[in-house]
Amino acid sequence: MAEKRLIILGAGPGGYVAAIRAAQLGAKVTVIEDTEVGGTCLNRGCIPTKALIASAEAIDKINRAEEYGIDIKGEVSFNLSKIIERKNKVVAIQVKGIRSLFKSWGIELLEGRGKIKDVNKVDVALKDGSNKTAEGDNIIIATGSRPARLPIFPFDGKDVITSDEALNITEIPKSVLIVGAGVIGCEFAFILKELGAEVTIVEMLSHAVATEDEEISEILERELKKRKIKLILNTKIEKIERGSEGSLTAVLSDGKQIKTEKVLVSIGRALNTENIGIEELGIKKGKKGEIEVNNRMETNVKGIYAIGDVVGGIMLAHVASTEGIVAAENIMGHSREIDYNIVPAGIFTMPEIGSVGLREKQANEKGMDIKVGRFQFRGLGKAHAMGEIAGMAKIIADAKTDKVLGLHIIGAHAADLVHEGAVAMKLGAKVKDIANTIHAHPTLSEAIMEASEDLHKMAIHLPKP
Amino acid sequence: MSPNDLKYHKEHTWARIKGKKATIGITHYAQESLGDIVYLELPEVDTEVDKDAGIAEIESTKATSPIIAPVSGKIIEVNEELSESPEIINEDPYEKGWIAVIEMSNTKEIEELLDPKDYDKYVEEEAK
Ligand SMILES: Cc1cc2nc3c(=O)[nH]c(=O)nc-3n(C[C@H](O)[C@H](O)[C@H](O)COP(=O)(O)OP(=O)(O)OC[C@H]3O[C@@H](n4cnc5c(N)ncnc54)[C@H](O)[C@@H]3O)c2cc1C
Repeated sequence: MAEKRLIILGAGPGGYVAAIRAAQLGAKVTVIEDTEVGGTCLNRGCIPTKALIASAEAIDKINRAEEYGIDIKGEVSFNLSKIIERKNKVVAIQVKGIRSLFKSWGIELLEGRGKIKDVNKVDVALKDGSNKTAEGDNIIIATGSRPARLPIFPFDGKDVITSDEALNITEIPKSVLIVGAGVIGCEFAFILKELGAEVTIVEMLSHAVATEDEEISEILERELKKRKIKLILNTKIEKIERGSEGSLTAVLSDGKQIKTEKVLVSIGRALNTENIGIEELGIKKGKKGEIEVNNRMETNVKGIYAIGDVVGGIMLAHVASTEGIVAAENIMGHSREIDYNIVPAGIFTMPEIGSVGLREKQANEKGMDIKVGRFQFRGLGKAHAMGEIAGMAKIIADAKTDKVLGLHIIGAHAADLVHEGAVAMKLGAKVKDIANTIHAHPTLSEAIMEASEDLHKMAIHLPKP
Repeated sequence: MSPNDLKYHKEHTWARIKGKKATIGITHYAQESLGDIVYLELPEVDTEVDKDAGIAEIESTKATSPIIAPVSGKIIEVNEELSESPEIINEDPYEKGWIAVIEMSNTKEIEELLDPKDYDKYVEEEAK
């Protein structure tokens, strides 16, 4: 068999992972990337936000030093430019890592903007000003997304900004209005508050992180309140007015006005489907502008695949990567289908959220017969020892079969802890199996064991119901 | 013995009635069973509350639980001091640890509340 040649447009967590898997299976891969390898996730998303949260958590711990029996003499201050510098260093190390993986697998990286010309041709406008045409047997579109910008927000990259600019602020504003209490809005709320800004979030829906289990959202809302972050629910922003001395005023749907120094808009993502040749080739798009694919990640045009944010659905880095692996393996003659039933997700608020599977409300709406077990972190010796007692683990099972249907955790390290539920679901395990698995003491994982016991009303560390 | 000048709800809240106003808080028994209180989510002024329904969430090192309104009405005042120092409730549940003032919408509800004697008896039963 002749060597397969594969062209990948975009080197985010979708594209770069697909490239490596295809190379592992023997393909000759060319990746086209117009900003930097790692895409949104590494350069403007997952990793930089987590680096900033680590600094925010360090500030929080220092502010609570007394609780841990530590006296701090003199004033504690932080240096914003060093915090940003640290974040940039974290990103740079990962970028270098991907570049050297590409080298080791013989993957060609063309730095520039690509446009599909034909089912096997992509024109590339290289960064150095020259042009090149890449040729291959297959193409994967992995161009990702960017912050959505509605015209009612007068973006200027300085006072009215998106997450892209928020990652590189040079001074801490006195006040920030965050539009949208989704994952990105809430993560930035905790970061900016810890750095000293007055933070107000305005959300159209009735809950913060509204796609999570309702009880988890409610606990997060309380944690926002504890940190004096103001959350206004069920409210829209009608417009943003600019005052004389550069001050901004947001007009809310209930007529109220909020004065603020900066506005951070985090209302969703726009898909990068423009000017990449999909119209010319007749590649089909869905209602929200997403590229339509089947469960093998194939578009309607034979030989062309699409993965990641650009296909809509669950817009997370690890979903993009899994889709990339599925596409690469199918291109290389294997047969794989994507399965979205078990997708764990992390939200890196303070404290964290980790979730997988069915939400309680979802199960009730479907008329399913379920059982629920809960356990509060404050019931754990480890949580007290750590000084992080806020949080809860909540497990959902099918009432008849006892099979795990969902696990929802808010609390320290929740995003790491939730994978116990993901593995259980993958194996079709029962809640009883988790309850009967020895969990090391003292750990936060005990919350999952106790919640599993609670589902059968047998939790050791809960009073008699 | 629970203070004589107060009325009690079975969910371990108390009310000090003055005309149409009821100052409310949680009982000594409640604060003792909760243990060290670390956070109180205060209700917001102007919200309407129903008797027997949760109006705020209280967190201790052991548990989180709702505070149940002993009477219906509108919240007209809250004890802001508790947001900085919730431990006041542990130290002085009936005086400095008051939580909110409710303007009652139905003063007849007072009759449904327990007298100190009956509340003490109820607690004794529950503790068994
Ligand atoms: C602030 C923030 C925080 C986030 N946090 C998390 C998190 O904690 N966990 C998580 O799972 N997800 C998180 N996400 C989401 C995650 O970043 C995305 O789901 C993920 O990056 C999608 O990967 P992708 O490969 O589809 O696209 P992208 O990462 O967007 O990569 C696409 C790449 O293609 C390039 N490109 C586009 N068009 C062309 C073209 N014509 N030619 C050449 N190159 C092109 C782009 O420049 C980009 O580098 C976060 C997102 C943001 C914005």
